[in-house]
Amino acid sequence: MHYFFQRFVFSLLSLFILTLITFLLSQVVPGDPAIVAAGPNAGAEKIELLRSEMGLDKPLTQQFLIYVGKLAQGDLGKSWFTHQPILEDLIRELPPSLELVIIAMVINLVISLPLGLCSARYNDTRFDSLVRLFAMIGAGLPIFWTALILQNVIGGELQLLPIAGRLSFEYRAFEGYTGFFLLDGLILGRLDVFFDALKHLILPAFSLSLLFTAVGLRITRTAMISEFQKDYVLLARTKAASEPRIMFKHVFPNGAPPSLTVFGMQFGWMLGATVLVEEIYGRPGIGRYAVKAVTQSDIHAVVAVVLVVGIVFLLANLVVDLLLYILNPRGRMDK
Amino acid sequence: MKSFLNLTFFVKSPFEKLALGIVFFIILISIFGDFIVPYDPTQIDFRGKLQPPSLEHPLGQDGAGRDVLSRVLSGARLTVLSTFTVIFVVLVIGCTIGIFSAFAGGWIDNILMRIADIWLGFPPLILALGFAAALGASLEAAIWALIFSWWPNYARLSRMITLDILSKPFIAGAEVLGVPLWRKVTFYVLPNAFDVLIIQVALDVSAVMLSISGLSFIGVGAQIPAPEWGSMIADGRAHMSTAWWVVVFPGLAIFFSALSFNVVGDALRRELDPLIRRV
Repeated sequence: MHYFFQRFVFSLLSLFILTLITFLLSQVVPGDPAIVAAGPNAGAEKIELLRSEMGLDKPLTQQFLIYVGKLAQGDLGKSWFTHQPILEDLIRELPPSLELVIIAMVINLVISLPLGLCSARYNDTRFDSLVRLFAMIGAGLPIFWTALILQNVIGGELQLLPIAGRLSFEYRAFEGYTGFFLLDGLILGRLDVFFDALKHLILPAFSLSLLFTAVGLRITRTAMISEFQKDYVLLARTKAASEPRIMFKHVFPNGAPPSLTVFGMQFGWMLGATVLVEEIYGRPGIGRYAVKAVTQSDIHAVVAVVLVVGIVFLLANLVVDLLLYILNPRGRMDK
Repeated sequence: MKSFLNLTFFVKSPFEKLALGIVFFIILISIFGDFIVPYDPTQIDFRGKLQPPSLEHPLGQDGAGRDVLSRVLSGARLTVLSTFTVIFVVLVIGCTIGIFSAFAGGWIDNILMRIADIWLGFPPLILALGFAAALGASLEAAIWALIFSWWPNYARLSRMITLDILSKPFIAGAEVLGVPLWRKVTFYVLPNAFDVLIIQVALDVSAVMLSISGLSFIGVGAQIPAPEWGSMIADGRAHMSTAWWVVVFPGLAIFFSALSFNVVGDALRRELDPLIRRV
């Protein structure tokens, strides 16, 4: 219980620093917000009135408290370019992005964990060198460039997969409950929608995951190599345990936790990296929303995205840490 | 430190030698690139719009007829030098905070490292995006934004090294002799930290480079017509199906630079790393 408490306090502290950062970000906007809000023809009195209305005449600490109070009520301000409350925008844009990131994470895990384990087992063989080369190449490829190339070659030239959007044209009227089209397709029993949405996800999710897969693969491999060197593996071998049993029953469960922590962090980083992918593939989502907001210099919308990605990041880490703790009661809190 | 007298001691395989060669080449290009470009990288030539690679223009011409080869060469300066700027500033700021934190100890150390821990987690790209939005889109803003989000790496690393060094007997000896603090930092801590820091730098180059070009790609970094690799790709996107060369070559430049720095960093780590055995 002590650990849970500690972990929650840490998350709350992180949340506090996150709001502090976003607050300061929204403060450094060039120009006086009261003058901007009042418009070009406003007199000095009007500006003063607005200033006190917006709380700008109060000390910074008090402004911060007001900001936090508004956040607690879900008031993120209004977007300058969609003319809607930012909260509504984000609720609409978040599911497509999460869907993309979840699929990218699945690709990441499906490649990283087995390949990392096997290349650790066959350390310093030709197979291992190949895996390491793949990780090296993946870590050097710019996400946005890979996305463009894959889109043009696989989607454009070869016409194997759709190049843009979330669903094909014939499903344009499709509406679900959750905004996650994969989930909606399953709930409503529309398998055609499910597979169509999946087809649209493959290229963007793969481009997004490549860099993270490269890192995840390296980390898994490293963790597994040090696990293979431990005494219990030697013992298992002397007892003539089969190699698959040693790999999957002994080494994998012991070596996985440190890499799982990294995968937890990667979830938030991937959500941040959607800014590079979503626009290319014409998918709605907070990444594209953030890029649009930046080009429109809509600082409050950008800051809100920073806040939301930060919160998702904190939650993902919290979930992974608690999960590891539950799965392994010995506790790995003294890292 | 002594090992650095022979600058190439750490590369073993031909692959690593090639990577080191590319790294040197890229650094040379980023310094002298502007003198060897065949054309003015920002010179517009509408008759040469989207011309494919030819003898006069080996890498073709972009949507405004600018020579892609000249732009890639001269882009090395923007991309690589801004990467090095970020890393250098982050190194100085991060190490100052980290070493200070280690010497201070107690609750100061605790608070600083907690902040660094939390900071470290946030997706750097999105933090940089927020920062760039606040400052307005420009390459300088992107550089500041990355500095702003990257410092905790070095703060944590240099703190760890400093604590390790402070636990050594020669520090206790220095204590007895009354060696002043600044001498301890400059003559005891920094030389011993050098190896580990240089490894981290080599490995961070590619990550920072990918972030800078990524920020430029989405329009918050360098602006067209500046020949930054990321913004060149963004500029060539619209013509990609007919004029692949405008997008492919700057991308290859980013890829080979990032890959080479990674390979060299890895080799350095394998040969030098006494403290962090992370493979």
